[in-house]
Amino acid sequence: MGTLLRAAWHIALKDVAIEWRTKTAFASGLVFAVLVLAVLFFSRDPTAVSSQDIAPGALWVTFTFAAMLGLNRAFLLEREMRALDGILLTPAPKSAIFWGKFGANLVFVGTIEAISLPLFVLFYDVPVWIRLGELVLVIAMATIAFVAVGTLLSAMAVRTRYAELMLPLLLLPFLVPPLVGGVQLTARLLEGRPLSDLGGWLRLIGAFDVAFVTLAALLFQVVLDE
Amino acid sequence: MPPSADVVLTATGIARRFAYRPVLVDVGLTLRRGEVLLLVGPNGAGKTTLLRVLAGLLQPSAGHVERLGAIGMVAHDAMLYPALTARENLRFFARLHGVDGRTRVDELLRQVGLANRADDRVGTFSRGMLQRVAIARALLHEPGLLLFDEPLSGLDAVASRTLVELLQTFQARGTAMIIVSHEMERLGRVATHMARIAAGRLGPVESLAGRSAAAVFADLMREDL
Amino acid sequence: MTLRESATRIARAGMVITVLALAGLAAVYVRALRYTPVEMNQGAAQKIFYVHVPAAWSALLAISITGLLSILYLWLKDRRIDLAAAASAEVGVAFACVMLTTGPIWGKPIWGTWWTWDARLTSTLFLFLLFVGYLVLRGVLVDPGIRGRLSAVIGIMGMMLVPFIHLTVYMFRTLHPAPIVLKPSAPSLPGVMLVTLMSSLGVFTLLYIGFMMQRYALGLLREAREEELAHAS
Repeated sequence: MGTLLRAAWHIALKDVAIEWRTKTAFASGLVFAVLVLAVLFFSRDPTAVSSQDIAPGALWVTFTFAAMLGLNRAFLLEREMRALDGILLTPAPKSAIFWGKFGANLVFVGTIEAISLPLFVLFYDVPVWIRLGELVLVIAMATIAFVAVGTLLSAMAVRTRYAELMLPLLLLPFLVPPLVGGVQLTARLLEGRPLSDLGGWLRLIGAFDVAFVTLAALLFQVVLDE
Repeated sequence: MPPSADVVLTATGIARRFAYRPVLVDVGLTLRRGEVLLLVGPNGAGKTTLLRVLAGLLQPSAGHVERLGAIGMVAHDAMLYPALTARENLRFFARLHGVDGRTRVDELLRQVGLANRADDRVGTFSRGMLQRVAIARALLHEPGLLLFDEPLSGLDAVASRTLVELLQTFQARGTAMIIVSHEMERLGRVATHMARIAAGRLGPVESLAGRSAAAVFADLMREDL
Repeated sequence: MTLRESATRIARAGMVITVLALAGLAAVYVRALRYTPVEMNQGAAQKIFYVHVPAAWSALLAISITGLLSILYLWLKDRRIDLAAAASAEVGVAFACVMLTTGPIWGKPIWGTWWTWDARLTSTLFLFLLFVGYLVLRGVLVDPGIRGRLSAVIGIMGMMLVPFIHLTVYMFRTLHPAPIVLKPSAPSLPGVMLVTLMSSLGVFTLLYIGFMMQRYALGLLREAREEELAHAS
């Protein structure tokens, strides 16, 4: 267990270091986030639709699509010079690759979310602070869901010749429960409803997290094998 | 007959298919400490696949590989991260090997002659330099067996000579090696044995004792695989 | 028994079942159109329901079978199991298409719109996308070993996703009920209609089995041909 955590830690650290140095996926994710938030804001009829109404949807579309930009990066960088083979030649347990990548992806997506949220408040004028703690919890839970599945599926997509096409195609159905749940919870929280009112959605996302983090970790080995 | 305690690798009955076609058919070999096997053969013969199976990166569809000791591999791709420096790359892999990072890494960088470029990003390196970092990476855990896939490809004469000299030091230390290459003239001095692989089949392994690589090659070509 | 021999046997059996199922389908249509009463609120258009619901059921059956066979394949590594899983997915996508087209055809006269985000329709839409992803993935992978393993992963994940999608859509719908109460989801169907529905479900299941067997047989034949081609060269 110790070796697994240590190896995963080193792998995650390495990923974060590389992204920090190149910032390519991060930059495009951020630009994308601003673009989506702005477009959705300007696409509505301000007299008919308040910014409050479309805010939750806008926020979550931003999160998930910016995340998808970054997810492929995680395995593409392993393919450039086949560094993944280098990892496989070490005694590091293969599941450490999943947990390391998962962790690094969470950091990456989390960073984009952390920067998008203030932009969101700025553009949409939503009272995020009334339920900030709970909002962060909801965002965290839903993010874990689609990053876990996204990590597994990007490892798979990168083995085909059409990684950028395959990842969204495969990932989309899996985004539905955390995305819908996230939007619903965000909307209710912004209305000022307490989290206890929304137990159903929370339990749904929580169950999804448990089920799919486990499943992704278990099935990852299958995706690595040649 | 050399003692069996010196065996570093045994492969028996290795078969591997891809897209319905056989890539390796009933391949077997034994390698002992200090032996350097030069593997020749036409493109598409299955040489790279064989090395990957021996390294453990691929599972054979049939057959068995027994590895007695650690293996290091230098393939066509460097297995490095272009955004990281040579030192950072090596430290990363050292940690995964559970090897004390700093001293070993610095020592290896010196050995392959890259101590002065240790803190440059690997993405800026020439092919010759990449090969040397890759060799350092392969040596981190002091393997008893090294696998090389076309190590001299893409190298100029100077870089080639440097590499062959490195290989000679490994051979002198008793490290077993399998080298896939068609550069018989340059590697003939390092190799102790030679074998030919064609259409997925491995021919007999012949010793190079006293003879030139070209002569042995001529012998091997006469074998009907 | 060679792949070809198995294939021929299974194809033949599959064809018999399909013919029986189609005959049953015709009988169900006759019953639905002539002998089942017309529904009060929705009129004659409601009768598409007897095709619409069972088609969705068959798609659901298909993904469960694909998922279970995927687990079995990863465990036993027999390529025929992989071929069967793929066959089930193709049949599933066909049934999902039937459901997604009959839905709007029904919806237009009754609800006035082609599409509503009705619980069952929405779930089937995502089921359809899962199938499409699975089949596209298979299409781009050349080696049967890699193809089998990667599609098995999607198959298992997809099967596990289905209950979550259903829950999500259900919870959304209870918050935002559809403008017109959807009678079909209620079990309180009068006896005559219920019998028609049940018979239709049975027939569609049989149809799934028949199609699945034939598609599987085709898969076996293709596998046999790939091997023959490989040996020839």
